[in-house]
Amino acid sequence: MIETKNLTKTFDSFTAVDNLNLKIESGEFFGLLGPNGAGKTTTISLLSTLLLPTKGEILINGQPLTRNRPDLKRKISVITQEYSMRQDMNMDEIMEYQGRLYFMPKKEIRRRTEELLDFCDLLKFRKRTVRKLSGGMKRKLMVCRALLTDPEILLLDEPTAGMDALSRRQMWNLLRKLNGKNLTILLTTHYMEEAQSLCGRVALMDHGKLEEINTPSGLIDSLGKYTVDEMLPEETKSHYFHHRQEAIEFLSGLTGQAALRETTLEDVFVERAGRHLSPS
Amino acid sequence: MGIITILWEKWVEFRRDFYKITLAAMIAPLMYLVVFGMGIQTMSHGEPYLNFLIPGVVALTTMNGSFNAIAQNLNVQRLYEKAFDQVMISPTPLWQFIAGQIIGGSLRGLYAGGIILILTAPIETGLIFNGWSFFIMFLNGAVFSAIGVVVSFLAKNHADVPRFSNYIIMPMAYLCNTFFSTEKIPGILGDFVAVLPLSQTSQIIRGISAGGSANFAGIGILIGYLTIFTAGASWFIYKKKNL
Repeated sequence: MIETKNLTKTFDSFTAVDNLNLKIESGEFFGLLGPNGAGKTTTISLLSTLLLPTKGEILINGQPLTRNRPDLKRKISVITQEYSMRQDMNMDEIMEYQGRLYFMPKKEIRRRTEELLDFCDLLKFRKRTVRKLSGGMKRKLMVCRALLTDPEILLLDEPTAGMDALSRRQMWNLLRKLNGKNLTILLTTHYMEEAQSLCGRVALMDHGKLEEINTPSGLIDSLGKYTVDEMLPEETKSHYFHHRQEAIEFLSGLTGQAALRETTLEDVFVERAGRHLSPS
Repeated sequence: MGIITILWEKWVEFRRDFYKITLAAMIAPLMYLVVFGMGIQTMSHGEPYLNFLIPGVVALTTMNGSFNAIAQNLNVQRLYEKAFDQVMISPTPLWQFIAGQIIGGSLRGLYAGGIILILTAPIETGLIFNGWSFFIMFLNGAVFSAIGVVVSFLAKNHADVPRFSNYIIMPMAYLCNTFFSTEKIPGILGDFVAVLPLSQTSQIIRGISAGGSANFAGIGILIGYLTIFTAGASWFIYKKKNL
């Protein structure tokens, strides 16, 4: 279980994470959503000890996580937003370095590397240096690296950024499969359909603060399951309804162009944060 | 053991860039030896100047070899490749990472210094290099590797390491008992330069090469520097909030 208690991180006078209290159960698929600058990446950096908190603490299975707790760090794997890899190492070397850093036996490193690179369709590129890989291949390699050590907790900071639609769907399937094996996953993403499709619960963050935690369907229900988009000359205005009949009645009363659809998590977020999300 | 992992990583790098590393380690010291030692034929303390120069060049080569192997590389890994994150997140104890960097850097310095010894071996100088000489070269490399770790953690951008190298390492290379004795630097500046690690290393290696024994006070000073900078590097990696 991951727990944060009053987790706060400030950089000079700027507060990136503000008194964050989260509890993520073992085996849960949890999403952390928010616009740029909401504090998602800082939260992941704190959970992976890349940054130390200004205030508050992080507990893994009830134990405080610090840089000096190899036993707890052993349980965690992280896929950072940036390609955090030696550019001049090839895939085999990247995997071996990771395995060695996690004290895995050499035989096991080789076996798992073969298995994971094959699964991600990277086996034929294993001798290619990271510098010469495409963005999508680097992202897949980071996934392989993170899974090599058989973690209990996987922290994913926008893992599908830069991936094409097919690779993204493959990644979703892989993450679902891993979560099915009781792996605890914390995911940050800009893609709302990703969170809606994968996460059991999501937390909305903005300006470093936790706005709301709920299931994706719970959040949608709280806003209204049906949306009528009214196309005005300057903007599209959305109206939310709990019952389809209400929405149809409203729609029939409109004179301009309008459309009825199901509410999405993106609608919820736009309403809560007051700004529109776009992938970056 | 995490130290072995870090040494393995250094070995992968060394194996890949073997020719570049070897050539880079040779060129500058060879120029010093050719220009100052053989081009300008002079005497020092009643002996050929080359006998004074070779131990100094060996000392500065181990310094440069070790510092450059660590500071620039770690800086790139931390600020640009972000590969350092991989280590921070991993369960490898961070003190083992620091120790691995220091040992790896020392070995690179020892390799660079060893090349100079091989290249100058055909010159009949009568200088003696024994196990103590290599120990001092290793210790000097360890001091400058530890400094390299601290500098790479202090660096805020790519240019900071070369800047530190220009302001601190290069003046040391010229002033610290390498090309001339620190006794010639007047007053308090001379005293200050004399206690710097490279001055101590040059002094000890020169003493051994002249048939003397290792200067234990000098070794103590080098161990003191190593302790201070290792403690500094450990503080950064364990305690700095935004590394």
